[in-house]
Amino acid sequence: MKMKSILAVLATAMTAAVSVTAFASGGPEIKYAGATASRTDLESLQRGARLFVNHCLNCHSAQYVRYKTLMDLNLTEDQVKQNLMFGAEKIGETMKTSIRPADAKEWFGAVPPDLSVMARSYTTEKLAGYLRSFYQDESRPTGWNNLVSPNIGMPHALAELSGPTKLVTKSFTVDGKELKTDHDAEGKAKGEFIAAGTMASFEHHSKKVDGKTINTYVVNTIANAGPGAMTPQQYDHAVADLVNFMDFIGEPHKAKRVQIGILMMFLLAFLLVAAYALKKEYWRDVH
Amino acid sequence: MAGTPSNHPSMFKSPLMNWVNDRFPLTALIKTSASEYYAPKNFNFWYYFGSLALVVLVIQIATGIFLTMNYKPDAAYAFGSVEYIMRDVDYGWLIRYMHSTGASAFFIVVYLHMCRGLMYGSYRKPRELTWIFGMLIYLALMAEAFFGYLLPWGQMSFWGAQVIVNIFSAIPFIGPDLAVWIRGDYAIGDATLNRFFAFHVIALPLVLLGLVVAHLIALHETGSNNPDGVEINQGPKGNRWSKDAPADGIPFHPYYTVKDILGVVVFLMVFTAIVFFMPEMGGYFLEYNNFIPADPLKTPAHIAPVWYFTPYYSILRAVPPLFGSQFPGVIAMGLSVVIFFALPWLDRGAVKSIRYRGTLYKSFFAMFLVCFVVLGYLGVNSTDVWGQFGDWSNFLDTKDRATWVARLCTVGYFAFFFLMPWYTAKDKTKPEPARVTMH
Repeated sequence: MKMKSILAVLATAMTAAVSVTAFASGGPEIKYAGATASRTDLESLQRGARLFVNHCLNCHSAQYVRYKTLMDLNLTEDQVKQNLMFGAEKIGETMKTSIRPADAKEWFGAVPPDLSVMARSYTTEKLAGYLRSFYQDESRPTGWNNLVSPNIGMPHALAELSGPTKLVTKSFTVDGKELKTDHDAEGKAKGEFIAAGTMASFEHHSKKVDGKTINTYVVNTIANAGPGAMTPQQYDHAVADLVNFMDFIGEPHKAKRVQIGILMMFLLAFLLVAAYALKKEYWRDVH
Repeated sequence: MAGTPSNHPSMFKSPLMNWVNDRFPLTALIKTSASEYYAPKNFNFWYYFGSLALVVLVIQIATGIFLTMNYKPDAAYAFGSVEYIMRDVDYGWLIRYMHSTGASAFFIVVYLHMCRGLMYGSYRKPRELTWIFGMLIYLALMAEAFFGYLLPWGQMSFWGAQVIVNIFSAIPFIGPDLAVWIRGDYAIGDATLNRFFAFHVIALPLVLLGLVVAHLIALHETGSNNPDGVEINQGPKGNRWSKDAPADGIPFHPYYTVKDILGVVVFLMVFTAIVFFMPEMGGYFLEYNNFIPADPLKTPAHIAPVWYFTPYYSILRAVPPLFGSQFPGVIAMGLSVVIFFALPWLDRGAVKSIRYRGTLYKSFFAMFLVCFVVLGYLGVNSTDVWGQFGDWSNFLDTKDRATWVARLCTVGYFAFFFLMPWYTAKDKTKPEPARVTMH
């Protein structure tokens, strides 16, 4: 009885802590939208592998990942060698990039980071959002900018798939007509932000003009600006496959880990019954 | 089924045992520390955490040995060698997750164990030395965790170590030189990694083991406290096993060994669930930023120590600088840890256990727990987590709400200790029972 109430208090305290954390954020509010893929979907992981070796490994390495790991995706050694291995000879080699670090630094301003555990530091949701957030921007050296990571050095590596994209900006401020108060403007902007079917950001700017504070609420969304090799829906799913694969190489043993975990829980449950019975039996004569 | 009395004719009669006992007091050792060590019969839920701490220590040492077989304490290879363990070493991921989860589990268990000590007055006469050895274990554990956290050589390893070593450079006059001496370099680097590795795998584990033995020897000298806080050794004598033993005592083995086995199994279920299903624990046990290799040129936007240090980190941040020096914060943080040592002499209560304390003590204790948890929560987050005060607060040195809450909690934290001689003496306590009670 006592232990139950203690656990209940702990549980409540933890939920409270978690719900408070959800509010903590700075900068523009980002909405992550788009398809997701399951880690157990081998076909998705295979498609992701193909995208990864064709589009990412040109500039990025995945230096802790051996090509052999790809055989866990239900592929034979020959299949991996013929379809997925371009920069290596042996199946035991790791995924190196062909770009020279000095060149990369000159072209992009920084050496592209290694992607072995990228999905572990940024989470698949954020990575996918990032890859869906490129838009054309003539002011940038690469011609591309990104809604999630503004002014990043990386160009839109998947542009041939997605086709050109543009940023659509809508600003809301008090106009005396439909939007009478800041509250109206914010509500309208929030409505647009929530209703957007693509990646979106919400920002609040305020400036002082003649001693009066003027609040502006800005909603940015990404829109298609021309045909690519894929339709927007296909591109959305391709990104889901790609980050699914990056999650796989981030922790190749994850599926096995969960499997063993379930087995362990069953074993411990049996042990729990035995341990409880033993304790009860021994303690029968303690009053 | 009663516990087998140790003088049972069938026990310890083998020729091998006789041979050993003639040369080493094995049977006597088992008797004095287990089968004839009489512990109060009324231990509750809170009494599991001592044995659990020992279990975690064993997990950490066993997994640590296997990790060192493949880990490379070299700034150029450390991050890669951890990934090698995670990918290419057979079940290396399991060993590593057990070790990383074990680190946090150690602090959870130790904090609950200490909380038990506070609740039932286990630190008080005659157990002052048990408490002091325990506090030394806690300090050694903090050092062990700090040194170990650098080894994966991720961004948080690097910058966390940078921040903590810089704390020492706030000490007037000798500070900067002291920080260089600790690091072995002007910045955290290869030399730092090598020496932290040595401390983590040899020096501190040895210290820890020695202190654990001392903690147990001291405990077995005085006998265990219990939830009622009354001394069973001063009560009536004579139980089923011995006429000289305390009437309210039961032999540690088999009673508490079987009970602790149950506790260990429950603990292992929680531990296993974390290791196999959520080893990062939402970024608290393995921080997301630590999957980015250490980069001395790129400071992360938000540096926070691992959760178990955050109450103290909060205190450090909460104390305002004096003449541009952070030293007062450093002093406050150091004091907030060391003050625990003084508990046996600060407490003047007529009773030991919270069961018989009055409202005054209970209020202070509750306030302390709340302050500790809130400080811990704030330490994980940046100081603007709760936003800022409005324009009215221009005269304040900071407008961050969280900083002011942290300051309030810092005052509450220290009030628990500094006012203890007063409120424990003034507290209206209930009479203690003559014997332990069973609920």
